[in-house]
Amino acid sequence: MSLQLVFDALALGGIYAVAALGIALIFGVMRLVNFAHGQFIACAVFALIVPSTDALAVLGLGALPAPVLVPLILLIGAGLAVLAEALVFRPMRNASPVALMVGSFALGVALQNLLLALYGGRPKAVSLWAELGQPVQIASASVPLLQLIVIAAVAVILAGLALMLRKSRLGLEMRAAAEDFTMARMLGVRSNRVISGAFALSGGLAAVVALVLVAQTGVADVRMGGQIMLVAFIATVVGGMGSLSGAVAAGLGIGAASALLQAGLPADARPFRDAFLYGGVILVLLFRPQGLFAPVGAKPRV
Amino acid sequence: MKGLFRPILALAALSAPAFAEDDLTIGFAIAKSGWMEAYDTPAATAAMIRIEEINAAGGLLGRQIRVVEADTRTDRAESAKAGLDVLDQGAEMMVVSCDYDFGAPAALVAEGEGMNSFFLCAEDAKAGIQGVGPNSFSSSVLAPVQGATMAEWAHARREARTAYVLEDTFIEYNKGICTGFNWMFPQLEGAQIVGSDTFKNDDASIASQITRIKELPDQPDVIMLCSVMPGAAAAVRQLRAAGINSLILNGSAVDGSYWLEATPDLSGFVVPVQGSIYGDDPRPEVEAFNKAYEAKTGSRPASQYAYPGYVLIDLWAKAVERAGTVDGAAVTAELEKMRDEPTAFGPRSFTADLHHQNTALMQIIEITGGKPARADEWRVSQPVPLDVLMKK
Repeated sequence: MSLQLVFDALALGGIYAVAALGIALIFGVMRLVNFAHGQFIACAVFALIVPSTDALAVLGLGALPAPVLVPLILLIGAGLAVLAEALVFRPMRNASPVALMVGSFALGVALQNLLLALYGGRPKAVSLWAELGQPVQIASASVPLLQLIVIAAVAVILAGLALMLRKSRLGLEMRAAAEDFTMARMLGVRSNRVISGAFALSGGLAAVVALVLVAQTGVADVRMGGQIMLVAFIATVVGGMGSLSGAVAAGLGIGAASALLQAGLPADARPFRDAFLYGGVILVLLFRPQGLFAPVGAKPRV
Repeated sequence: MKGLFRPILALAALSAPAFAEDDLTIGFAIAKSGWMEAYDTPAATAAMIRIEEINAAGGLLGRQIRVVEADTRTDRAESAKAGLDVLDQGAEMMVVSCDYDFGAPAALVAEGEGMNSFFLCAEDAKAGIQGVGPNSFSSSVLAPVQGATMAEWAHARREARTAYVLEDTFIEYNKGICTGFNWMFPQLEGAQIVGSDTFKNDDASIASQITRIKELPDQPDVIMLCSVMPGAAAAVRQLRAAGINSLILNGSAVDGSYWLEATPDLSGFVVPVQGSIYGDDPRPEVEAFNKAYEAKTGSRPASQYAYPGYVLIDLWAKAVERAGTVDGAAVTAELEKMRDEPTAFGPRSFTADLHHQNTALMQIIEITGGKPARADEWRVSQPVPLDVLMKK
């Protein structure tokens, strides 16, 4: 396997891992599969440009220098997620998981239509950090700078998050809530704080995915985020619902498998790359229906 | 409640356009909301411009043309309902959504009534006899013709001898572009397709596909990119960022300068179009239309996809004049007699086998230093055969 392929696989897997983590965090604390996560990503992308239905996009926040822009977009992502929790999911706190899931679908549709109304249906060009596409020579591989940044950023985010979950009070409470929410509350974990915290982190991660996507593709489209959300959801299932490290591992795995299939399949089979990919997912679930790294608490006790 | 409704009803009655009993009604079952709206509205606006011109000149068969509308909401099921809706409003001809998938349900409603239907800009042979029925048409240029035009033009004018085909498997249109290119290019003297690959429009990255191109012993003269927005802009950005400088060809779908910011200072990118929106089309009628469009909407067309709307009303109205009726079968018979019928955007033909253009004079737009401009014009040396069009 060439070094080039390793970088391609890591970069795609890294994006999927961050997206999967965003879904797993919320599932962990409130058993909600947040199907609006893809729209959180799209909203963070569109926050870069001035609202207008004209074909030509004008950069708004996107014109700011990176040291200001990155934290600002992360804050917008986190703020949107916290707002969604307060307005939509908090009133539904005691609803069944299915009702919550339908609620998240509805929120996603509402957000998408909001974007359509504000920005129109045509994809927009966003020239964000075009210079990051420049290839860098590493041994035999020529790797775009952006890929290296993505791989490094994913590593930093995962390490930071692991540290936060292990060392900080909020992290401890989140892990406790993920293990057994009712018990954690009885022991004095403040549920609103934990859930808002999880949403804020998840929204921040959605914004990270948004920035990477824009820098990579140079376009903003109301439908973007949908495909990543799907892969991320599958990754959380494969990783084991409720397991954060499982979601990350499965996200990396699916991204890497996708890059490897694209490189390895014969030309006639390549259009069906995703069929092979999801065929693999089905195989994994046949042998481990609870996912690869299912937490103990996820097993139904009879 | 009654008191509330009365003024609204009165308002509605006032705002309804005054029309006489013998007006001729065209029904627009198109997307007025959802993502397809951005593509349907420009073509529908262009159709309105031609309708207003006809009305100003005394109407069609001595009758003024009236327009009724219904929204498909970019939804296949709603499309059929929108078709029934405009039928209830008295439509005698139906204009349906740009895309085959979203326009066909409404077009089938029209076909069931023996009525003519026109897709606003469909470029798949199914959007006509083969997929809807004998009275359905599109005035746009088939996707395989666009691919074949790119192949022959690049070979003749840019000495392209090696090509790499990169196909986005998202929609039928993309497959059509590649089908036309794959049919034409290998027939040309000394020309060879050195490799091909696929990607998906919403792929977060096409790094693996780029790695495959860079591993070729020699970089290809041209890359035939069969894609639409937003994937096309993303692919071009990633190809150029990776240092691949081959001439990139695409279909008409990526015409327009609105996406060029995605790859600053893009050069060597070529698309075939039905007319130039950039003010440099050699035919004065095209620029006259661009000005009329600007006067009506406040801005020039964002892409060439306004033009087929104008052409379809033009062709249909001519056929109605010749048939002396709006009856579907009679108008279809007149449309099928058209051979190189002149329009503002080039000659158009229909036959009993194909209600589409299997050859067309196309303007070649090239982007250099981030600026699009008309570089040339080209008409494929032979029409794309029906079996190639239908093979997919």
